[in-house]
Amino acid sequence: MTAPLTETGALGATGELVAAPMIGIAFGWCLERAGLGYAPKLAGQFYLSDLTVFKVMFSAILTAMLGAFWLDRMGLLTLSLVSMPETLVLPQALGGVLFGVGFLVAGLCPGTSCVAAASGRLDGAGVIGGMLGGVALFHAIFPWVQRFYESTALGSVTFAEMLNVSRGMGIVLVTVVALGGFAVAGRIERARL
Amino acid sequence: MNRRNATLAATAATLAGAAALADFRSPRHGTQVDVTQLAAEIEAGDDHISAIDLAERIMKGDGNIRVLDLRSEAEFGEFHIPGARLTSIAALAREQLPRDETIALYSEGGGHAAQAWVLLRLRGYRKVLVLREGIYEWMSRVLEPRLAKDATAAERREFERAALLSRYFGGVPRSGVDRSELHTGYWTDVAQARPDARSTRRRGC
Repeated sequence: MTAPLTETGALGATGELVAAPMIGIAFGWCLERAGLGYAPKLAGQFYLSDLTVFKVMFSAILTAMLGAFWLDRMGLLTLSLVSMPETLVLPQALGGVLFGVGFLVAGLCPGTSCVAAASGRLDGAGVIGGMLGGVALFHAIFPWVQRFYESTALGSVTFAEMLNVSRGMGIVLVTVVALGGFAVAGRIERARL
Repeated sequence: MNRRNATLAATAATLAGAAALADFRSPRHGTQVDVTQLAAEIEAGDDHISAIDLAERIMKGDGNIRVLDLRSEAEFGEFHIPGARLTSIAALAREQLPRDETIALYSEGGGHAAQAWVLLRLRGYRKVLVLREGIYEWMSRVLEPRLAKDATAAERREFERAALLSRYFGGVPRSGVDRSELHTGYWTDVAQARPDARSTRRRGC
């Protein structure tokens, strides 16, 4: 049996419905355990006083990247079946800026706002409300922003393809950046103590 | 850095270094494809989509299908399937398309689209389909579906389905035509072979 199980049909429709909430609960539990349901901790990222978010995210990227590569090599995962979203440079850059501003103002991102709300924090519920309101607003104004939304499309391109290097070399580059980032983050946090 | 973090960092660096050694070819666009698998897909007819099925997906607003027109700019300007985007085989050789969407290709007859199908499959795209008889199939089955005077019950059912789509896309369904107006196999793929699409004989391209 090879992954992704949803693409190969190994799970079936019922299995997918059961697996989705289980994965969601496990994801939420991991975020909560990492302390990411607490707004001041997340906002600390922007003041360089607490770089937990950076370290958690890059740990996840490294684990997923190395895991996906080696599972594919071992024949346990078919990487070409894994969904890969399109790259749209300008809309995604603007989206990133908006996301960052919202992150800083609220102290929470979409996933962590759910975790915070589940922990009984009102600010989490407020962010979820704002998020749903934003989705509705985007839907309403979509015809006016569609042209920009679909601009500067590069297609489903990988980091290695963009740099014109082998996939293995792309993995090395991301790993070097992540490990270097961990070292710098640790140094910044110690200097701030 | 404590001992546990140092161990984790060393493990990640080792796995990344091994990845560079294991995959040093530059750069991989898509994945390698088993050509016998491609042949089996073609034989089974899994590489095709009918005009009626395509029309149904477009009408339902299926956002997971991307329709690409491989004809000339002038032909595209004259008429194209709603929602289709003009492209060329040369562009498809380097263009990055979303891998989670179904890519439906059509050309004038079907030959050009079939070549593009092979190209995209070799580039690792898995969900690629060709409109069986190209734009002609769209015109004859969707825009102007025809029903013979002596139609069977199965043909009548399929015609009703096609007529609904035809009106949606601004076509004109024609019933009561002489059977000689329908070329051999007009209903073969849709009406008779529907119970088992895999047994459908490949047509076009």
